[in-house]
Amino acid sequence: MAAKRSSFGKDNGLQARMLLTIFLLGLVYVAFIGVLFAVGAAAGLIVVVAVVLLLVQLFASDKIALATLGVKEVTPAQEPELHTIVERLCVQADLPKPRVCVMETSMPNAFAMGRSKKSTTVCATRGILELLEPAELEGVMAHELTHVINRDVMVMTLASFFATLASLILQFAFFFGGGYGNREEEEDIFLIVIASLAVYALSFLLLRALSRYREFAADRGGAVLTGRPSALASALLKISGTMERVPSQDLRAAEGMSAFFIIPARTKKSLLNLFSDHPPLEQRLAALQRLEAQLQGAA
Amino acid sequence: MGLRDVLTGRHAVKGPAPDRLFAISTAYITLQAEHQIDPAGSAAVVFQALATSDFEATLRDMEEVVRATGGDSGTTVATEDDSYGYRWMVLRNPEGAPSVEDLAVGINAVSSSIETAGHGERLLCAVFAFVDANGHRVYFIYNYKRGYWYPFVPDPDPAHPQQRMTERELQLKAQMSSEMPIEPELERWFPLWGIPI
Repeated sequence: MAAKRSSFGKDNGLQARMLLTIFLLGLVYVAFIGVLFAVGAAAGLIVVVAVVLLLVQLFASDKIALATLGVKEVTPAQEPELHTIVERLCVQADLPKPRVCVMETSMPNAFAMGRSKKSTTVCATRGILELLEPAELEGVMAHELTHVINRDVMVMTLASFFATLASLILQFAFFFGGGYGNREEEEDIFLIVIASLAVYALSFLLLRALSRYREFAADRGGAVLTGRPSALASALLKISGTMERVPSQDLRAAEGMSAFFIIPARTKKSLLNLFSDHPPLEQRLAALQRLEAQLQGAA
Repeated sequence: MGLRDVLTGRHAVKGPAPDRLFAISTAYITLQAEHQIDPAGSAAVVFQALATSDFEATLRDMEEVVRATGGDSGTTVATEDDSYGYRWMVLRNPEGAPSVEDLAVGINAVSSSIETAGHGERLLCAVFAFVDANGHRVYFIYNYKRGYWYPFVPDPDPAHPQQRMTERELQLKAQMSSEMPIEPELERWFPLWGIPI
């Protein structure tokens, strides 16, 4: 494999940034745990609660989300085109076939859920099925399947584990912190709150950055999978064009899911890219354009 | 896939598995003699056609090669694009003289020239068409990524579009598993609708 010529080049810059982000996240958490141990807080109990939460997040969040979103599994007879596209991409990516679902909303979007390759759900909205040509839909589904291959749900869940932990401690401290105990304990709680706040703020930004990088990676992986970067670019253009015209109620209803959507649902544009979990459209298009150029220049 | 690949979100598209395509050129004898399933005289290979001049040149060269090797046996080549953007290279034996060996050689010529050009990861499947005693189509599909074969029997009743005869396929698996490497994971028996042969 290594000796074989590839149609696409490598993107070492992207991978370096992603590793750096993961590293910085880890650093923050290590420092955070250090502070917890230093103050000798009753952290054990809190950690147990957080671990339980993490497990729930890993094993049940997809089912909860699917149930609350009103997503329905469809048979090959109901959605032959979508099933065929997913099946062929699964052959191409050497994946077992995921559950294929459709969400009955006019907002054009798609997402993948599930913690492993064996238990995955891909979902497309009615809007995206009507909007896109088969090749574009294939690009979008390849992007979503790449999230599955990259285990992005697992990575993001684990990465947000400590952010969850921090916010939990924050809440514990606010609700049960005051009112009892001696002066020294109150100082400890004050320390924990400060540490939690700092961790939460930092990890929030880092998580967003990580999510953006993994979107780029999924765009890239999806384009490599289909060999048609421009089809995905065209799909992104079409989707984003329609996103601005759909009624805002639909968007609000879907906002919580936005991290897994191919294009985030937003009622208003974020002022700072720093806070966004998806990279700006122009940057995604530019990256796909570079891929297409690499592909065309491979002769 | 290693931890590093998970962390960086990088993976290569999988290339072809070790070649077990030629299992069909002996297995068909059993199909014909013991199970009354005759070759239909056609086979096809389906792949993603990259829209690059490089890839198009590869395809043109490949067609030349297949025409040249098929010249003696009279095997013809035709190209077809389906609505999902995949390209089918269809090989047909001359009328009344079906030869699975010739088809297997031709299909192998197509896939190995795509591989030699460095695009092996674009190969999806090879399909060999057969006809059973009732005149219904039975397909054997070779998955290049996995190096396994599996049977695919679409429901011949036009009232049941895109349905497959799973019972028949499982019978074929039982009958043929000693003759050819059959895909062990049933969830990877991907159907191929709209096979042009």
